[in-house]
Amino acid sequence: MGETAQEPLVHIQDFRMDFGDTTVIRDLSFDVHAGETFGFLGSNGSGKTTTLRALLGIYRPTAGTLHIGGKVFEPRDGASLGYLPEERGLYKKEHVLDVMVYFGRLKGLSKATARSWSEDYLERVGLAGKAKTRLDKLSSGQQQKVQLGVTIMNNPGLLILDEPTKGFDPVNRRLLMDIIEEHKRAGATVIMVTHQMEEVERLCDRVILLKDGVSRAYGTVEEVQEEFGGTVYRVTHDGPLPASALFDVVSQENGRAELSPRPGATEESVLLALVDAGAGIRSFTPARISLDEIFIQVYGEQHELAEG
Amino acid sequence: MKSSSRFTANSMNWRKAEMAMGQHNLGTVISFEFFRTIKKRGFVIATLALPVILVLIFALVYASNASTKDTAAAQKSARFAFTYTDASGIIVPAAAKLAGGTVAGDPAAAIAAVKDGTSEAYFAYPADPAKESVKVYGADKGMFENDKYQAVAKELLAVSAQNQVGSPELTAALTGAVKFDSQTFKDGSVAPGVGGIIPPLLFLVVFYISMILLSNQMLNSTLEEKENRVTEMILTTLNPTTLITGKIISLFAVGLVQILVFLAPVGLAYLFFRDRLALPEVDLSSLVFEPGPMITGALLTLGGFTVFTGVLVAIGAIMPTAKEAGTVFGPLVAMMFIPFYTFSLIISNPGALIVQIFTYFPLTAPVTALLRNGFGTLNPVEATIVVVELFVVGTLILRLAVHLFRYGSIEYGRKLSIAGTFRRNELAAK
Repeated sequence: MGETAQEPLVHIQDFRMDFGDTTVIRDLSFDVHAGETFGFLGSNGSGKTTTLRALLGIYRPTAGTLHIGGKVFEPRDGASLGYLPEERGLYKKEHVLDVMVYFGRLKGLSKATARSWSEDYLERVGLAGKAKTRLDKLSSGQQQKVQLGVTIMNNPGLLILDEPTKGFDPVNRRLLMDIIEEHKRAGATVIMVTHQMEEVERLCDRVILLKDGVSRAYGTVEEVQEEFGGTVYRVTHDGPLPASALFDVVSQENGRAELSPRPGATEESVLLALVDAGAGIRSFTPARISLDEIFIQVYGEQHELAEG
Repeated sequence: MKSSSRFTANSMNWRKAEMAMGQHNLGTVISFEFFRTIKKRGFVIATLALPVILVLIFALVYASNASTKDTAAAQKSARFAFTYTDASGIIVPAAAKLAGGTVAGDPAAAIAAVKDGTSEAYFAYPADPAKESVKVYGADKGMFENDKYQAVAKELLAVSAQNQVGSPELTAALTGAVKFDSQTFKDGSVAPGVGGIIPPLLFLVVFYISMILLSNQMLNSTLEEKENRVTEMILTTLNPTTLITGKIISLFAVGLVQILVFLAPVGLAYLFFRDRLALPEVDLSSLVFEPGPMITGALLTLGGFTVFTGVLVAIGAIMPTAKEAGTVFGPLVAMMFIPFYTFSLIISNPGALIVQIFTYFPLTAPVTALLRNGFGTLNPVEATIVVVELFVVGTLILRLAVHLFRYGSIEYGRKLSIAGTFRRNELAAK
């Protein structure tokens, strides 16, 4: 699973969280290493936000160890944390610059530095003229930019982003992705909760997939893909796809299909079977199973069980 | 974008970063909360409205008093032609003549002359002015100017009496225009009297003013984090105790600013326009600041402030919106006024059961104990018990409020179950 000798920046061990008689997280363990981008995946209600809140001391865990930098997180550690919660908001009746400077001060910056940083950021995101405007007078997209600014103030070494693109317009989503990549390049550790699997595949080094408070997959993106079927073949075809003992058809639509080879099948044998069956193959590309597909596989089981 | 000190991503630097975090967060919260409150247009308008109204009232009173005083003086020395009859023999004809009076031969004719407007006024002094009233008849000159008839009739009687007695001192004694200075003794020393009651009661005034001015803001300031969904951002940078403490201190500072703004016109008026504004003549030298009641008063005020603040913060944490919090806020404020229903008992019979209950029930204790402390019916043992109780209960409620804020403020849009937060805590402690 790619463990390194270095102490992990985030260490969660045997974490359990009960609310009353309901256990929402059970025996969850994972590490996030310094400098990596970590994807925290799972459907709504799977326990992702609860885990982050417990990690950040907002909830007290029922059991287990949740450490950042080798110790339980305390608010005074917030200087090097950039946290974008799922539930977002700022002091709406205050001026943009006042709010940014306030959070900068809470994160340990001097007033002058916080002001200077905020002014530079607002200029970068095209809000320089809004510094003295009340937050509730800004558009939703502009408020999102301010929220992002507050999150990354003080250039945190650890960014925790809970569904960062939720509610963001395309412009701000691009801004957010740029910011994440900037921080990633600068060596920051990023933990992101998201449903956007393309973003995960593009940005994340490792992932954990949570279902009903239990880890269902954990490791590098490649390791997880391997665990859930490894290679798939993406084909474009003109003719009908045959039923075969060599592969399963994972998806098929408008002359495009994704095939999952059965044990023992090789790339050559699958291709040969398709050609022999007259499927009219125009392209045949080996690829990894997508995280999207893995997500559907994991949650599909639940769906099937519910239907059953 | 300029780059401030960057923390590279490893555990070592994470620890360095947390060391870099200053201990200035309380000051930051106080400063932010204070300035954002006093910069609000609504606050400025509300704070300035009262002094402006006071200045307007003072100006009107000043103008009215100036004219009233002038009118009174003018009425006393008003000179107009009148007739009079004197059955008492007190009126000195020379003084009457000087005032514009002439003796009337026939009272009925004199009254008729006033009625038909040929005479402006007629005064009928009875044989015994101590038992019978002096009859004053005059031509109507309007409500205020009509007073001049009685003023002149009275002044003429006083001047004549003084003339008869021949001694201004005796006249003063007879008319009751003499000042009295009383002194009582307690345990061999001069008892402070009213001068000793007023200073400790000022703490009650301070308590009321601070609660009336600040309670609504206290309630809303903690609700604001919840309504704006800013709590999670706050809780990851700031200890909730620091946040609540900062809010309370800043609100107290805001209250002081308001009190100073409110008192400014009163103070200026007292210093410079006291005689023209009919302000009560307060002899400050008669005030006695006894250490015991003063210290007790200060402690009761602080303790009471702590209790009510804790309760308000707790309400803010439990309720999802300011509107819903308002339904609990009303009865809470009523608790500050309920002790006044038993005001007479508090002063005359502090041992009465209801007074005892009000003295020790945390929400009625501040007002009841402050009243009893002012009127000297709160003995040192009772004072100690109430002060300790208020601080202990206040601290416990504040701790509960912080706990509820921690859990309640992320229950966005929902009312918090207090028991639920403790179950969560209890499980967490296992």
